[in-house]
Amino acid sequence: MFARLVGESFVRNPRRKLLAASALMVGMAVATAALTVALDVGDRLSREFRSLGANLLVTPQSDTLPLQIGGVDYRPVNEGAYLSEADLGKLKTIFWRHNILGFTPFLPVPAYVPETGGATTVIGTWYEHAVPMPDGTFFRTGAKTTHSWWNVRGRWFQDGANECVVGARLAARYSKEIAAGKTIHLEAREGSKESVPLVVTGIVTTGDAEDNAILVPLGVAQELSGHPGQIRQVLVSALTKPADALADRDPVTLTPKEYDQWFCAPYISSISFQIRQVVPGVDVRAIRRVADSEGRILSRVSALLWVVTIAALVAAGLAVAATSAATILDRQREIGVMKAIGATNAIVAGIFLAEQLMLALIGGAVGFVLGAALAWTLGESVFGTPARPHFVLLPVALGLAIIVAVAGSLIPLRRASHFEPALILKGE
Amino acid sequence: MFGRLLWRLLWGNRGRLAVALVSVASGAAVISALLNLDFDLERKLTHEFSVLGPNLVISQKAGAQVQNAGATSPSLMDQAVVESAIAETRAQQRIDAAPYLYIVARVAGRPVVVAGTNLDTAGELNPTWKRDVGPPMIDERVLLPGVSSSLVGRNVARQLKLVPGSSFQLQYLDRKATLGVAGILDSGGAEDNQILVDLRIAQQLAGTQGQIEAEQLRVPGNARAIAEYAARLAAALPGYDVRPIRQVTEAEGNLLNRTRLLIVSMVLLILVLTALCVLATMAALAMERRMDVGLMKALGGSISRIVGLFLAEVSVLGATGALVGCLGGMALAHWLGQRVFGTPITARWEILPLTLALMTGVGLAGALPLRLLGRVKPAVILRGD
Repeated sequence: MFARLVGESFVRNPRRKLLAASALMVGMAVATAALTVALDVGDRLSREFRSLGANLLVTPQSDTLPLQIGGVDYRPVNEGAYLSEADLGKLKTIFWRHNILGFTPFLPVPAYVPETGGATTVIGTWYEHAVPMPDGTFFRTGAKTTHSWWNVRGRWFQDGANECVVGARLAARYSKEIAAGKTIHLEAREGSKESVPLVVTGIVTTGDAEDNAILVPLGVAQELSGHPGQIRQVLVSALTKPADALADRDPVTLTPKEYDQWFCAPYISSISFQIRQVVPGVDVRAIRRVADSEGRILSRVSALLWVVTIAALVAAGLAVAATSAATILDRQREIGVMKAIGATNAIVAGIFLAEQLMLALIGGAVGFVLGAALAWTLGESVFGTPARPHFVLLPVALGLAIIVAVAGSLIPLRRASHFEPALILKGE
Repeated sequence: MFGRLLWRLLWGNRGRLAVALVSVASGAAVISALLNLDFDLERKLTHEFSVLGPNLVISQKAGAQVQNAGATSPSLMDQAVVESAIAETRAQQRIDAAPYLYIVARVAGRPVVVAGTNLDTAGELNPTWKRDVGPPMIDERVLLPGVSSSLVGRNVARQLKLVPGSSFQLQYLDRKATLGVAGILDSGGAEDNQILVDLRIAQQLAGTQGQIEAEQLRVPGNARAIAEYAARLAAALPGYDVRPIRQVTEAEGNLLNRTRLLIVSMVLLILVLTALCVLATMAALAMERRMDVGLMKALGGSISRIVGLFLAEVSVLGATGALVGCLGGMALAHWLGQRVFGTPITARWEILPLTLALMTGVGLAGALPLRLLGRVKPAVILRGD
């Protein structure tokens, strides 16, 4: 009997039901979309932060003091220690290997370039290099990944070819001698017999010291410096978690449980620790300008987004509660009739709540689908990759829909229970 | 008469109206808090980005900055010209700037990059620099009387075994200077391998008084503001090269755009949702008046009287709700700003009329069904279908 009553009442006046259900739907769609975006945003923004470039610097441990101005090392080639290029593949074998998005080795070499009539810094690096991994696969990485703001007019050099790109300021100064398509010659020192001819393929703007240098494939620089298979430093771009109290502690002082927790979190400190473990004899330092600001901005932005998400939930709740209340107020006469023919307050409330429950389930489910679609488009338009739906949010959306729909009905139902049926039926 | 009717209407329905008022006020609170947050977002975020350090650098245009160990051949700029140009173009903006002059000097026979700069402004420009001694940049306690102070990079200190409070001698060609270590600098960058000294000492050593090699600046604002300032500065400094540090400006622009877009689109969604909620409340109120409309029509009276009364009622409700909600929302935004950014968000008063107009507008739109009822036969309305 009760089921039939609810069923009857549910199919009657579909327009009104549609209104209530669509309010639930819209509310839950916005709530789902907001939650989906908020769950993903930390990950997405930290990927976005990788456009700031590398956040870890790997150098030889027993090195002399680099003569470094603005990122370029001006030491003579026979001074200081080197890293082995062959060790680089090991970077992708650490525990957090999937968080290593890229790395680029650098080998600066002071050279003599007759075209510029003087000493010029030549930097050997990778643009897009296939690094052999220990498991036999290849990992493509280089300045393209770690220095995405480097802008080249023309094209980048081919790995292993006798080509180079020239820094914009250097090229501007010697615009007659250096231009895309022309050939320049590198000599280890002035007057040396051997010279390496390189075709200029592009002019690069980096906004830093490299604008005054010549960028060449790593092999060319190694040959020029007489240090085959060696590099000065490696810049690593890793996805990290913002530092918290645990991240900054010395791993030696941690208890075994804390150590596991620290080791298994992608903190910048634990990733550098793991790199030191797999590549012996290196010093790994966080590039703090990047790493610190990333952590700080990231935590602020996610806090901001959670605020907006909570606002979305509140707004969704308000909207649903308001419509639920309105539908019940709308049906006071019906309640009056029910009570007049002997229905108790409990039965009336039961019928209405059961109806709201069904509406909430339907509206919540449809709203979840709509919200997932909304988050998908939002992710696509803001970050370029769609936000995947989180199915864990389906019960959340349904539960939320039920709570707000029932809560919205309770106040008007309570009021309805105080009404005299005769008064309502009379229309007062 | 109209006023008395309105008052009776409002007071007589005070229970029901209170519910509607709460709904309108909470809607207005959410809207005004979010709008306030949104208006202030760009300023707050660009302020956050100042931790990224300098974003503009001035250097000599045709400058050949080719250095070898032990010798520098930089092309220098006149410090006074650059600084006066910055002072002229800065207008109301707060622009941090630090001059730099690099030399490769020797300490105990080993070559070290020495950066001459203004230690205090360089520290302000790079908020992520850490010192083993807390701020300020120069620790007064370890200053040696009569000796100029310096900040020694972390790696330099380790290799040369320098500790705060000790002193060392810098040698450049045949010129010498004795410096005290005021602090060890941990920058996580190139400065870890440098010694930072006062600009005048570096100029004295290099014999290039009044000249600098580069000037680093931090310009607040978004990419457009930075580009505009760079253009203004370039116009004031012909022959010099004013270029953005692309690593910083690109990432900044990127992040700012994406974050703004994300927040703005979510705020828009919430705005629509809240407006719908208020609309539903108002429409429900309107539907309660349908009996009056039916009665008026049956009596042959004008329904515009009823609609007018209702509109007045809705306006009062909307305005009161918006006012209360808006004030609450501003307090909420103030608190949120404190929680999220550490500094409160300043209340924007233009949000008050905006919220008021929006709430009243939506309320009036809720009265639309009443107007439409005027076309229906009175008997149908009175029967209650």
